[in-house]
Amino acid sequence: MSAPAQHSRSWRPFGQRWQAYLLILPGVTLYALFVLVPIINTARYSFYDWTGFSEPTNPGLQNYAEMFRDPDFWRAIGNNAFFVIFYTLIPILLGLFLASILTRGRLRGMTIFRAGLFIPQVMSPVVVGIIWRWLFTLDGPINIFLESIGIQGRAWLGDFAWSRLAVGSVGSWVEYGLCMVLFIAGAQAIDEELYDAARAFGANRWQEFRYVLLPGLRQQILVAFVLTFIAALRVFDLVYVLTSGGPGKTTLVTSLLIYDEAFNRNRAGYASAIAVAIGVIILVVSGSVYWIQQRQAAEEEQ
Amino acid sequence: MFNTRKWSVLLISALLMAALALSVSAQESITLTVWDNFTRDAEQAMIVELHAQFVAEHPEVHIVRISYDTSSLTDLLPLSLASEGGPDVVMINQGFANMGALVEAGLLLPLNDYADQFGWWDRYGMGLHTRNMWSADGTQFGGDTLYGVSNTAEVVGVFYWRSDFEELGLSVPQTLEEFETVLAALHDAGKTPIVFGSLDGWPAIHTLGAIQHSYGTREEADAFTFRYEGGTYATEANLLGAQTMVDWVNAGYFSPGFEGMDYDNATTGAFLNHEGAMWITGSWMAGGISQELGEDQVGFFLVPPAEAGAAPLNVGGVGLGYGIRSTSANPDLAAEYIDLMTSADAGALLLEYGYLPAVAVESDSITEGTLTADVIAAWNTISGADAVGHYWDWTVPDIAAYIQELLAGVTTPEAFIETVEAEYRAAE
Repeated sequence: MSAPAQHSRSWRPFGQRWQAYLLILPGVTLYALFVLVPIINTARYSFYDWTGFSEPTNPGLQNYAEMFRDPDFWRAIGNNAFFVIFYTLIPILLGLFLASILTRGRLRGMTIFRAGLFIPQVMSPVVVGIIWRWLFTLDGPINIFLESIGIQGRAWLGDFAWSRLAVGSVGSWVEYGLCMVLFIAGAQAIDEELYDAARAFGANRWQEFRYVLLPGLRQQILVAFVLTFIAALRVFDLVYVLTSGGPGKTTLVTSLLIYDEAFNRNRAGYASAIAVAIGVIILVVSGSVYWIQQRQAAEEEQ
Repeated sequence: MFNTRKWSVLLISALLMAALALSVSAQESITLTVWDNFTRDAEQAMIVELHAQFVAEHPEVHIVRISYDTSSLTDLLPLSLASEGGPDVVMINQGFANMGALVEAGLLLPLNDYADQFGWWDRYGMGLHTRNMWSADGTQFGGDTLYGVSNTAEVVGVFYWRSDFEELGLSVPQTLEEFETVLAALHDAGKTPIVFGSLDGWPAIHTLGAIQHSYGTREEADAFTFRYEGGTYATEANLLGAQTMVDWVNAGYFSPGFEGMDYDNATTGAFLNHEGAMWITGSWMAGGISQELGEDQVGFFLVPPAEAGAAPLNVGGVGLGYGIRSTSANPDLAAEYIDLMTSADAGALLLEYGYLPAVAVESDSITEGTLTADVIAAWNTISGADAVGHYWDWTVPDIAAYIQELLAGVTTPEAFIETVEAEYRAAE
């Protein structure tokens, strides 16, 4: 069979391909050295009893067996799942709401609003944590406000019933800015004619949102979902600064557990097993999102 | 134009010669690498002064010192000690997960011979040395081999505003019962008796530990901490202490909203702003308090024993211990460095910088009735009586979480003791 004309155009002589590999070599080397090798090592160590500096001993599945029996692990996973509500669902909803307002209106000073609303996302989590620690204290601003409208204040972060909610809402405050910016960028790419058409058919604000904006942002929503979902599963700094997992173990998350096992208890093998478990969960979820995305793209092409 | 070229040639040759000279001197000098946790500005001056003394005696030595905050240092030590060219002298935190694990992995040099040679055994009592001692395989805490020498000491006690005590005619309590009378009097007078915050977890370990030590004995505390035969958390003293602390919570003796107060800002601020009369915390705050409030306004006393005249057992200990990497190329030099840093001279200097030195220092220079004098008197009392107790989280790292449950009423004192005991057994 003779090759079609297009094929001969995309055909590259070997020398050029070799050059391409050479060009990506530095990036690949760094990636392999600092990402791939540690990941492989983590997976390997998860099958050993290992303090983090001794010789790994006793190969086997004991770390995974222990993990499934460890109430702290399940508690931490449960808290991560709970934080998905605050890191993923609420920020996406809030981001959609803000994007629909900030892209359709023609308010003066819109850029300032956008920038202001994005600030929590760019702040260091440690700074965010320290600020909210103070906001949440018994005589802090949040309680002063609540008491002014007749709600009894409490020490939110130290309260067994409320600490998860308090830590979670700080997470929402941090993450919504990312969703908002993604959605605003996506919304601006939506053809203005679609809105005109919707209006011509007498669509109200909600219908515009439902039938123009939302379908137009499908890709961005998936991206926001993956990014914030990963953030919810690997959250460490914010929880570490706000509560260190307390009171009791009410805000214990897997990354805190990994840190505690690896550094405070010198059980790096067990910590690796937990890390592998989290890695697998993240991989499965982002993999399915990618799969959905591909299928959608394929559908749209048809 | 001509001159420029001439000058550059001169400059380059000068630089070359300087580089040559440097490399020659570098070959002759010995580098001693030290990792410690003296990170505060004031501490730099103290270390610089001691280093000058050391280099004066050893002009060939070049000291490279890197300081980390304690938790970073703790995290970094295992790998750096295991690697070629790691630090020669390091400060090591006590306990199973830290010094114990390092000894077990063979990363630290046994110091018994140096201790004999330099007289380190006499720096402070054996009860304190034990905290830096292990069996040579690292399994028995409080064994017969020394792996660290400390230069600072600490004791958890009670800081109090003198004005509150004067106003209500209170005096420093001598028994726990008297202490409770003081608490009630302060509470009745509308004051917050004890400034306290448990958000960070660890301050609760200190406060509960202090109360439990008041009921406890040295033998019980040692057996639990060093995991000697028969060591247990389920003692009468620990149960009584847990119950007492819960009673104090219910009586409103601690800061309102304490469960949401962190240590560095909220709790420290509350005491410095006089939002409460007393604060049960470590002597390490003495320097900061006297810097903020001077030496006269605040005093310090030990949590008194439950029974009058009993041994005044109090939570405390020695700071991080100086140890030597087992593969260090210059162990003798490292030992000399440790000798200087833990000497009485260094102790006097530490005192100047607001630290409580582990080594006994002349107290002539300290004015009576000051905060510093109170702290030193408290330390001398328990150090002399071999009554320095322990931090429970050395043995049960998660204990702070369980104390938070206890204080919130999520669990009873009995169930709390059971949980901690179960965790203690599980880690055997």
